[in-house]
Amino acid sequence: MSKEVVQKRSHALQRREDIAGYSFMLPSLIFFVGFVVIPMVICIWLSLTDSNMHTQGGGNFIGLKNFIDLFKDEVFLDALWNTFVIVFVSVPAVTAFSLWVSSAIYKLKMPVLSAFRCIFYLPVVTGSVAVTVVWKWIFDNYTGILNSVLKTTGAIDANINWLGDEKYALWCIILILFTTSVGQPIVLYVSALGNVDASLVEAAQVDGATDLQAFWKIKWPQIMPTTLYILVITTINSFQCFALIQLLTQGGSGTQTVMYYIYYTAFKLTEQSGHFGYANAMGVVLAIFIGVLSAIQMRLAKEK
Amino acid sequence: MKKFLALLLIGAMTISTVACGGSGAPAAEEAQPETTEAAPAEPAEEAAPAEEEAPAAEEAAPAGGDAASSITLWTYPIGKWGDEATVKGLTDAFTAETGITVNVEFLAYADGDDKVNTAITAGQAPDLIMEGPERLVANWGANGYMVDLSDMLDDTDKSEIQAAPLTACTAPGGEVYEYPLVMTAHCMAVNLNAFKEAGADQYLDLENHTWTTDDFIKAVEALYAHYGDTVAAVYCAGQGGDQGTRALVNNLYGGSYTDAAHTAYTWNSPENVKALEQLKGMNGIAFDASLAGGDEIAKFYQGILKMAFCWNIAQQLDPNGAGTGAGLTVTGEEIAFMSFPSETGTSNLQGGIWGFGIFDNGDAARIEASKKFIKYMADSAATADAVKAANYFAVRSAAEGTDLSAIWADNEIMNEYQVLMPQLGDYYQVTPGWAGQRTAWWTMLQKIGSGMDVTEALTQYEGEANAAAAE
Repeated sequence: MSKEVVQKRSHALQRREDIAGYSFMLPSLIFFVGFVVIPMVICIWLSLTDSNMHTQGGGNFIGLKNFIDLFKDEVFLDALWNTFVIVFVSVPAVTAFSLWVSSAIYKLKMPVLSAFRCIFYLPVVTGSVAVTVVWKWIFDNYTGILNSVLKTTGAIDANINWLGDEKYALWCIILILFTTSVGQPIVLYVSALGNVDASLVEAAQVDGATDLQAFWKIKWPQIMPTTLYILVITTINSFQCFALIQLLTQGGSGTQTVMYYIYYTAFKLTEQSGHFGYANAMGVVLAIFIGVLSAIQMRLAKEK
Repeated sequence: MKKFLALLLIGAMTISTVACGGSGAPAAEEAQPETTEAAPAEPAEEAAPAEEEAPAAEEAAPAGGDAASSITLWTYPIGKWGDEATVKGLTDAFTAETGITVNVEFLAYADGDDKVNTAITAGQAPDLIMEGPERLVANWGANGYMVDLSDMLDDTDKSEIQAAPLTACTAPGGEVYEYPLVMTAHCMAVNLNAFKEAGADQYLDLENHTWTTDDFIKAVEALYAHYGDTVAAVYCAGQGGDQGTRALVNNLYGGSYTDAAHTAYTWNSPENVKALEQLKGMNGIAFDASLAGGDEIAKFYQGILKMAFCWNIAQQLDPNGAGTGAGLTVTGEEIAFMSFPSETGTSNLQGGIWGFGIFDNGDAARIEASKKFIKYMADSAATADAVKAANYFAVRSAAEGTDLSAIWADNEIMNEYQVLMPQLGDYYQVTPGWAGQRTAWWTMLQKIGSGMDVTEALTQYEGEANAAAAE
């Protein structure tokens, strides 16, 4: 068989494999393009228009007006501030707590470890509505168990309106977000810590390293990719905090977030001219902030 | 063989992906009705349609082909119009009469508007919708999505339908975007047992179900002195049930919500300032940003709050939609419905009007079929069943010769409730910017509750409401 024939067959084989590979990817690709890429492009385009539900087509091109208006809008600025508070409190807290719990449990025997995994993962697999309703009962101003316990123990004299008072509502949201966010990082950290090369840790300990030194010098660098992933997904989830706000406060009591304000502007303020364009502009701004913060996290993690 | 299998798998995956994308037609999703503006209530036996009754004098068959043989109805939870079994009974009777099938989707107040707006934007609006003029006339009608139904109203209809609801269903240009079916007056309620225990029942005129502002203040003082805790909540967690807080504030000292022409919001008046300052300064009254109307009803039903500002006849018939007995709390304490307190004792109660509208989807046959549906439900011998299903009062005295004035004759509570109907006030919910101003109202109440100066809050948020009206 000549060399040319072999090469031709090899190319044909390669092409066939490529076609098969792309064919298998096709359903996902259609989904990704249809539900992610195209909506993103539409979102960016609409953010530059005065589109609303009453105008046909995409509305009129108005340049960056929506973005300029956004930064004059007190509600948006409040929402942005609250969103950043949620992100900057929630992300470090979730990451640190997950790491701490995982470090404590990853060496336990399998049945015990599995039990802990289940306990921490339960709020993740439980529907967010169900979790939120339970928390709403806990925080209830009149009959909530939290007020009851605090009053019984003498910690407070009168009931606190946890979800109706600006001083507390946002922190209650952060607390609920925290409980629903730690499950996945814990499972990931347990897995990552279990994969750390034990011989390296033992060698370091033989050389006199303390537990803390072994953690920082051996384990921490090896679980850095997991940490990076956790940081990014927790950041995105925190930025996109919506269901809790919708179900608990509807943006009131000082808990307005950008994600909820997008929904509110797009679907509730239908009488306001250009409300689709304005909501899309908020979406673009939010995406930029998420992108920038994720990039910073990746850069910092790489430097480590 | 392998290639064939691979192709088969790819085909299956692609089809499943596309299939999961959803079809154009909305699924008949059953949504749990929210007890906010229209509360579900009423024993099933009263709401069941009497199919054996003579149907309307209608042309038998629909005009068009396939399109007109089937129509879609989206309904908010207006009494038992939010109950699948009840509505099925009504629509089955309509189908038997006309041959037109009706696909019903049940909306909740929490997200019903979002669904409708999304459907409108996507060109997938239903043929029929059941709700009030604030949506059908002032919003969707004003924006050109609804069919003018004025050709359905002849002189007899106009003489049978009360003037106030018909006016509310008519746009400034004369187009009728809603064919009204039922109406009621929203009111408040008190826990009579609690009032008696606190010695506050002396301030209630239980014969006329009215009280004055002074009586209200004294009653709250007596209740607070007895219970030492919050006895009523100016709920402001959201827009749900906001008709209650509006009526409370406006009636206390004779304030108004909009101008008479329904062009602007008039919150920032000395009367409203006085009312809000009064409420803010009262022990026992809490501006509660953790409760919306439905939550307040639940707390009242549980006996925690001694008054509810979000109430109506449907609630009186079945408090909290719990089916535990008309006019009773969960523990069996007696509930008395009351007019809102005012200086004179006579209030302007917030009205509720509900009826049908048709979305203009550009299909004459479907519009014609939808009109047949409206005619059947709102102006025929079957109207009595449609009204009873809603748990409210008919907007008209008769329909195609059937007397509707006595359909609740066998119901003592409904009869007693009629004492409030003459106090029905201006139906101002058709003022432009209605959807936007609702957020301004409850946000304002939250701000006042958290310490903002009343005048400052009214000035700021009335400005926002009027800005929404000017859009």
